[in-house]
Amino acid sequence: MNAIETSGLTKRFERKEDGKKKPFAAVDNVDLAVEEGELFGLLGPNGAGKTTIIKILCTLILPDSGKAFVNGYDVVKEPDKVRASIGWLHGETGGRALYWRLSARDNLRFYASLQNIHPDVAKKRIDALLEFFDMEEDADTLVKDFSTGMKVKVMLARTLLPNPPILLMDEPTVGLDAASAVETRKLLKALSTELGRTILFTSHNMFEVERLCERIAIMNSGKIIAVDTPLKLSEIMREKKAVEVRISETADPKTLGLLQSIEGVGKVIKAEIGEDSSLIQVEVRDEQEAIASIPDFLQGKGYNVISIQRALPTLEDVYMKLTREPA
Amino acid sequence: MSSSPIIELFKEETRRSKSTFRQVYAVIWANLKILLSYKYWVVTDFLSTAASIVMYFFMGLQVDPAQLAARGYGEDYAAFALVGISTSQYLWICLSRLSHSIQHDIRGGTLETVAVTQIKMGAYFLGQTVRGYLISLFFLAGTLSVGLFVLRIPLQINLSTLTAAFVTFLLMILSNQAIGFITAGIVMVHKRGDPVTFMLAGMNEFLSGVLYPLDLLKQFPPLYALARLFPYTYALDALRKTLTGGAGMFSPDVYYDLVVLVAFSVILLPIGLKVLKWGYDTIRRNGTMATY
Amino acid sequence: MKTKELIGFLRKEREDAKEAGVLEKVAAFVARDFKTWWTYKLWVTIDVLGTLTFVASYYFVSKIISPEILVEAGYGSDYLTFAVIGVAFQQYVFSSVSTLSESIRSEQWDGTMETILSSRTSFRVFLLGESVFRFIIGSYFLLAALALGAAIGVKITANPWSLLSAALVAALLVVSHMIVGILGAALILKVKQGDPIVWAFSWLTQLFSGVLYPLNLLPAQLSWIGAIFPLTYSLDGIRRCLMADATILSPIVAEDVVKLVVFIAASLPIALKAFRKAYDSTRKDGSLGQY
Ligand SMILES: Nc1ncnc2c1ncn2[C@@H]1O[C@H](COP(=O)(O)OP(=O)(O)O)[C@@H](O)[C@H]1O
Ligand SMILES: [Mg+2]
Repeated sequence: MNAIETSGLTKRFERKEDGKKKPFAAVDNVDLAVEEGELFGLLGPNGAGKTTIIKILCTLILPDSGKAFVNGYDVVKEPDKVRASIGWLHGETGGRALYWRLSARDNLRFYASLQNIHPDVAKKRIDALLEFFDMEEDADTLVKDFSTGMKVKVMLARTLLPNPPILLMDEPTVGLDAASAVETRKLLKALSTELGRTILFTSHNMFEVERLCERIAIMNSGKIIAVDTPLKLSEIMREKKAVEVRISETADPKTLGLLQSIEGVGKVIKAEIGEDSSLIQVEVRDEQEAIASIPDFLQGKGYNVISIQRALPTLEDVYMKLTREPA
Repeated sequence: MSSSPIIELFKEETRRSKSTFRQVYAVIWANLKILLSYKYWVVTDFLSTAASIVMYFFMGLQVDPAQLAARGYGEDYAAFALVGISTSQYLWICLSRLSHSIQHDIRGGTLETVAVTQIKMGAYFLGQTVRGYLISLFFLAGTLSVGLFVLRIPLQINLSTLTAAFVTFLLMILSNQAIGFITAGIVMVHKRGDPVTFMLAGMNEFLSGVLYPLDLLKQFPPLYALARLFPYTYALDALRKTLTGGAGMFSPDVYYDLVVLVAFSVILLPIGLKVLKWGYDTIRRNGTMATY
Repeated sequence: MKTKELIGFLRKEREDAKEAGVLEKVAAFVARDFKTWWTYKLWVTIDVLGTLTFVASYYFVSKIISPEILVEAGYGSDYLTFAVIGVAFQQYVFSSVSTLSESIRSEQWDGTMETILSSRTSFRVFLLGESVFRFIIGSYFLLAALALGAAIGVKITANPWSLLSAALVAALLVVSHMIVGILGAALILKVKQGDPIVWAFSWLTQLFSGVLYPLNLLPAQLSWIGAIFPLTYSLDGIRRCLMADATILSPIVAEDVVKLVVFIAASLPIALKAFRKAYDSTRKDGSLGQY
């Protein structure tokens, strides 16, 4: 059984365009399957629809069409059972989604009661979680006096508190300092490997997903455009040959155009334009050939080439490429 | 920071303890704590309610006692106003409180985090409602004490009138709570303050005769008929007949009022619950549980 | 988004930029608030209705009141007029003052206040801009209340000099209550909760400024309290002009005017200082954007 499964999942919202309300699909016909015990990443730029998917899985948003199952339960028909199976974190709220006028401990106690956790068990867990997040001393301080990072920690603790089989982590590390983010990722990894918890993790930061997740889905404009392991995803890129040129000028459309006029040089993949140096990646027919021909050509036109080499694609490139192309 | 203690702890099989009662209690407890952290508010609200009683006490000094006595309300305008003002403030503050706290939870994003837990939303709404009534009891008691002990406003207090007043009071809450549910449902969807309660509160204060004897309205039959559509009109009448007129529960006038209140409750409460559910489902469909 | 072009644009903009004057900024605040207010059409209607029913209540209350005390205080014998003027003006200042602090609170809540104060707008302009709009809107309700009053039997003078005098006293009432509003806002910044000053103000004035009864009705130990509030003088002046044909040349009204002017002169610097202090202290403990 898949821990999370959606088929044809669609959610439309209204958006104002030219003063008129027009429907658009925030989640567009999404098929997703996350296996039990898997650490699965959902990656996509802001507005891709990640949060909407997660909220549908949480039973907070009702889908328009399609199906979604969490722990085998239908999110529309059996919301109670779904909620008993999940922990949800919405990191983007930056710590707003807590009772600011309760202490960290009171917040956790409150949610423990709502989650049907026996008070004795709750006490043990709360203590352990507060200890893990280095918050024992601040446990009885009102949340309103916390930094964003501390609030996020309380939110994390609240999510883990019921010890659910499935964790829906929506940008959980936003607002955490680097060290806490690393620890949190380690904890998630341990929950997945040692306890077999299923974790769906969204992020717009490819580096954390690349390192953490076993499989990744890349999303854009409501659609899933690729699902695979991080390694496989980078290999998609590797099939294309590319070189990376650095010149000591600001690159402008004219420079980019010039490059493409060279025999055997194709599309520009990426251009990082700086004040006095620019990095350009282009697709080429043959890498060796291009590494020889491009500098000669550019220098002939009066450009100063600092370096040229084979471009090694990273997940970032895959991500950039996939999410830039109109779906 | 080491994750192993947590992993060990989470490996243990644990008891679940399913109890709606505990959930409702948790909602009341947490929100009470939040409210009490607003110390200024608690104090100023108390003072302002007390002040309004004092104000009408002084205003009452201008009232011609014969005018009141002729209508069977005794001679004391202060007593007349005390019953009207303390109960109407209590009722409307309570009725608006549910939508207030829901709005607060929407704004703060906590409605979503509560909704993904295992609490039944009914238990959450119940907790919020009960909390509203409990807190306001404190203000009601304060207002009445100021009236009774500081201003020495005479009320008819004995076992029979108190029982009657208590029953009326409960029915007043039941028959009006539908309004609280309806407005909460609307507020969830429209997110714009709480216009309905506000408007109804204003109309009731005017039409139900909080400040003047109701039969003065008879001069204007449409207004008088409108007043008869609000349960609070009957509740106030019964409360006054008992607390200032000394009637018991089974005196015909009071009894009639109580029957009407029961009828209102039976009709309105299911409608209120429907609207509340509609509101909650709508924000789940629109994905606006945390937008305002 | 093309970074280079935006940077170029901003660079050029900066060279051409001119500072907006205070008036323009205040106008910008009023325009912004009007637009926000207008989106709450339902509320606008309800507010008018609220004012109307409030006024209408006193039509009935006036039926059971005997006017001796009113006559004794020199306001004539018409309780309805007395009460409607009192309630309408009290509501007017109260709603203006409380919406001012509410808006400061919600700006704080939404974090927009931090944004505004971090721009090149001084807190004085901010306060002025915030309050002007409230009083404009409040006037609208005031007029609605008085118009309804006239329809149900409120009798006010037709003497143009009396009307003009009443308008002058009303103007002083507005200025003095903007100051009260600023004090309330300062407190809100500090305690972040409710609007204690505004509420205290509302209830104390209802009790002691003679909104619903003439002050000679209060026991002597209490009647001095009204002297603290500018609403007391304003109401007295306005009522004497509108109900008894007095003008600012009448000694009693002239005395009210002088007292109002003194109040304004004395309290404005205090209020500004209080707000400044509160603002600085929230900046110090970093709670400006907190709620
Ligand atoms: N309740 C809503 N009403 C209208 N549009 C919405 C709503 N929620 C999200 N959207 C829109 O749907 C799209 C997807 O949003 P979201 O799921 O939050 O993206 P992500 O989490 O990937 O950044 C965005 O364009 C967003 O503006
Ligand atoms: Mg998101």
